[in-house]
Amino acid sequence: MTATVEAPAPEAGAVPSFQVTLRIRRFLPTDDAIPAFGEPFEAEPRWDEFTVDVHGTDRVLDALHKIKWEQDGSLTFRRSCAHGICGSDAMRINGRNRLACKTLLKDLDPGKPILVEPIKGLPVIKDLVVDMEPFFASYREIMPFLVTTGTEPSKERLQSPEQRERYDDTTKCILCAACTSSCPVFWTDGQYFGPAAIVNAHRFIFDSRDEGGTQRLEILNDKEGVWRCRTTFNCTEACPRGIEVTKAIQEVKRAMITRAF
Amino acid sequence: MSTIADPKAPRASRPGPSRRTTRGNFELYGWVFMRASGVLLVVLIFGHLFVNLIAGEGISAIDFGFVAGKWASPFWQVWDLLMLWLAMLHGTNGVRTIINDYAEKDGTRMVLKLALYAATVVVIVLGTLVIFTFDPCPPNSPADLLPSFCTA
Amino acid sequence: MQTHQYDVVIVGAGGAGMRAALESSTRVRTAVISKLYPTRSHTGAAQGGMCAALANVEEDNWEWHTFDTVKGGDYLVDQDAAEVMAKEAIDAVLDLEKMGLPFNRTPEGRIDQRRFGGHTRNHGEAAVRRSCYAADRTGHMILQTLYQQCVKNDVEFFNEFYVLDLLVDHDLATGDVPDGEEVNATGVVAYELATGEIHVFQAKAVVFATGGAGKIYKTTSNAHTLTGDGMALAYRRGIPLEDMEFFQFHPTGLAGLGILLSEAARGEGGILRNADGERFMERYAPTIKDLAPRDIVARSMANEVREGRGAGPNKDYVLLDLTHLEPAHIDAKLPDITEFARTYLGIEPYTEPVPVYPTAHYAMGGIPTNIEGEVLRNPTDVIKGLYAAGEVACVSVHGSNRLGTNSLLDINVFGKRAGRSAAAYAATASFVDLPPAAAEGVEADLETIRTRPDGERVADIRRDLQETMDANAQVFRTSESLTQALSDIKALRKRYEAVSVQDKTRTFNTDLLEAVELGFLLDIAETVVVGALNREESRGGHFREDFPDRDDSRFMQHTMAYRRPVAAGAADATVTGSDASFRRAETFDGYQVVLGAKPVTVTRYQPMERKY
Repeated sequence: MTATVEAPAPEAGAVPSFQVTLRIRRFLPTDDAIPAFGEPFEAEPRWDEFTVDVHGTDRVLDALHKIKWEQDGSLTFRRSCAHGICGSDAMRINGRNRLACKTLLKDLDPGKPILVEPIKGLPVIKDLVVDMEPFFASYREIMPFLVTTGTEPSKERLQSPEQRERYDDTTKCILCAACTSSCPVFWTDGQYFGPAAIVNAHRFIFDSRDEGGTQRLEILNDKEGVWRCRTTFNCTEACPRGIEVTKAIQEVKRAMITRAF
Repeated sequence: MSTIADPKAPRASRPGPSRRTTRGNFELYGWVFMRASGVLLVVLIFGHLFVNLIAGEGISAIDFGFVAGKWASPFWQVWDLLMLWLAMLHGTNGVRTIINDYAEKDGTRMVLKLALYAATVVVIVLGTLVIFTFDPCPPNSPADLLPSFCTA
Repeated sequence: MQTHQYDVVIVGAGGAGMRAALESSTRVRTAVISKLYPTRSHTGAAQGGMCAALANVEEDNWEWHTFDTVKGGDYLVDQDAAEVMAKEAIDAVLDLEKMGLPFNRTPEGRIDQRRFGGHTRNHGEAAVRRSCYAADRTGHMILQTLYQQCVKNDVEFFNEFYVLDLLVDHDLATGDVPDGEEVNATGVVAYELATGEIHVFQAKAVVFATGGAGKIYKTTSNAHTLTGDGMALAYRRGIPLEDMEFFQFHPTGLAGLGILLSEAARGEGGILRNADGERFMERYAPTIKDLAPRDIVARSMANEVREGRGAGPNKDYVLLDLTHLEPAHIDAKLPDITEFARTYLGIEPYTEPVPVYPTAHYAMGGIPTNIEGEVLRNPTDVIKGLYAAGEVACVSVHGSNRLGTNSLLDINVFGKRAGRSAAAYAATASFVDLPPAAAEGVEADLETIRTRPDGERVADIRRDLQETMDANAQVFRTSESLTQALSDIKALRKRYEAVSVQDKTRTFNTDLLEAVELGFLLDIAETVVVGALNREESRGGHFREDFPDRDDSRFMQHTMAYRRPVAAGAADATVTGSDASFRRAETFDGYQVVLGAKPVTVTRYQPMERKY
């Protein structure tokens, strides 16, 4: 954390407030139904600037809400839980993929406008909202579910704490797409499975209860699979859950190699 | 309420990755090859540099005779052949992945890769030919340029 | 407009919705309609665990769990439902494990269990280790695991579709459907966010699993999207809402922000302290102290602050002390919540206590159902083909105060039951005709709001609503404060009639949706306040300073709030079950909120004084 730790008092006035400017990339596609009230069609993305008063504990999401609720209701973005659990509000803030609800404004440089863009590599629907379907399609392809054979035990399957620990890191994934959309390989053609899909495959490949590991390795042993990873570590840096994404990808590669030789 | 839309198609399906599976061990072997050839190339190249530039009289000893002398030995023929093949394949595979990463259109990607593969083939074929068909003692050459074992 | 036909339509893709979908989709053609991508649902925010008497680490049995649930709910729990839940909890946990949920493990490899508020051994002797957990991300794991199973079973989702109307063959809100007459649910009307298109879903059975309504309050642990949609839709169709005055305030929300810090923090040994460093829960609950049920802890905290022992510059919060715990233990068991403290308040929980204050957390009330998940339209009659499960429903297993972990249990046990019942019903029933022009009302309402050129801003009305609810209908309530809240809501309703949005487009118009959601919030708030005004006693999550004691003689019944047209003449509209204590009708513009009662099912535990 930064050195400035405000007393977290809820009353206004006790918390120092300051002004920030957000430069937000806006987009409304033309193939929309005809806008009402003679509003102009928009085709090209544009940048809009907004200035808002915020408190020391406010996050980028709070600033976006302030803009939407007080200045421009048409500003569109996804959000739900507002504390980094649901994964709705991944966006590109000052050139880095982050969750808007986990990025404190005071941790950014408030002297300069804060750049907010949609995550890259997925088709933009409107403003900061992108089409998540291709992302989830990749996720669904890697069989993201426990595969077992034989009869089910009457009680739970046993798993030692060490075996449980083995895949703990990758169970944290919230499917926000911050990693996949930070990956330069994914940006180019979007065919690459992407870090998030591999992370979720990893979660099962290294689960001692799972028996579908071979199939998953087979799926990811694809021209568009793990071998496209160039270990740029963008994904690890982007992950709001602190998952060591690149490491997970490398572990999947290693599993494939030990299987092949 | 008479028309019931096809319930499986709530709307025109949006563009997914629509990926053709390209599974197989090619990329895996490629990945392993890059690491293995890389290690081997370090040995080969530094060995090459040492023998050519440092050992004995060093760089001043290099002339036609020196090269011809080396290639007269099957050991150095294999050494250089390995270096040629590994370096070319390593480099080509590297450039191939770069093309894959950065060429956005399928057409561009194909053209660039064809050019790359053509260049690779030309260099490897020519190089291999040179190594194996090299004549260390071409007739009618001044004897002082030739290696010592040429008896003109 | 598009029309679809499915045997079962499930509304909501959180824990309960997806658990229902897993049951139903393998049996009949099922669609799940969700306003969010399924993994965005707020089930994912649940942290501490899911209780089941597995007895993996110490002696336990489901009967004790039932007792704790009944006592925790201050005896307003329907005991048959609590028995079902506690008994089926064991299988619910084992089911999840078999689906792949990564529970924490004991050294022997069994599912590990830990202590949790209000869960005791042998009817209150001491805290028991009953909560099965996966670090402090149990809800996240449940949500992910259920979604994974839905992917495996190829469940059909309609993501980012907002259900805006429930279709029934007799509109109960007209007030002229006699008791006993058959009423069928026939489908729902949904709005596709991406395109603005209207979709009508015809279904033999509809399952509501839309979650809670925490956004009626300003300080809440709930997501922005928890706006009581399902409850309000049912309510607008004249279906009663049960026990809405009981809203749970979670003791440990990050002060000022409301972000949840799990009860697991106290289960793992965390201690609440006031400004003097005193462990004040020793005074309020001498036996189980910091692990008392949430209503008691929240009230104790609010009381400490009120009596001037709050910490901080404004003396307006108390402290959650974890500093005596080993950092390694904290990292292993409570990684997420310590990160919240670091990220949002800049507090290092290893060395500093964390400022906390109660935050609106869970609606105990909701759409009344029986233990099969069937929705009741009065104390006895069910609506055919309509089911509800999860926070949207009131079975009622939580009574007047839900125990920690019982919500994750509720969604799994009753989600499964609702899904199974709906599928069984749909397998034999036939489609009932949709009402003519089924989508007309929704379309007209949306167009009116969307095209109104100028008017009240959504955010202003919502803020005023949340502020009045926080000030007047929170942990402590009085007749005056509730009357104030009621008149505020009436005024806000007037303002809402002139609400307008700035975004006039049809693509992904979240501005418009926020306006619609605000309408739902106003509906929910009115039922909370009217119910709270009528309940002149203090029980569980509902505390009236002017009536500080529980009054079993008058109020040992569930409140049922019905929306009815204003009756002709001066008389108030009446409903079944309006006995003396529950005879109240509150007139709003154009309709009345009419209260009724529903008896509490008591099987083995007679009401006793609730002491911890």
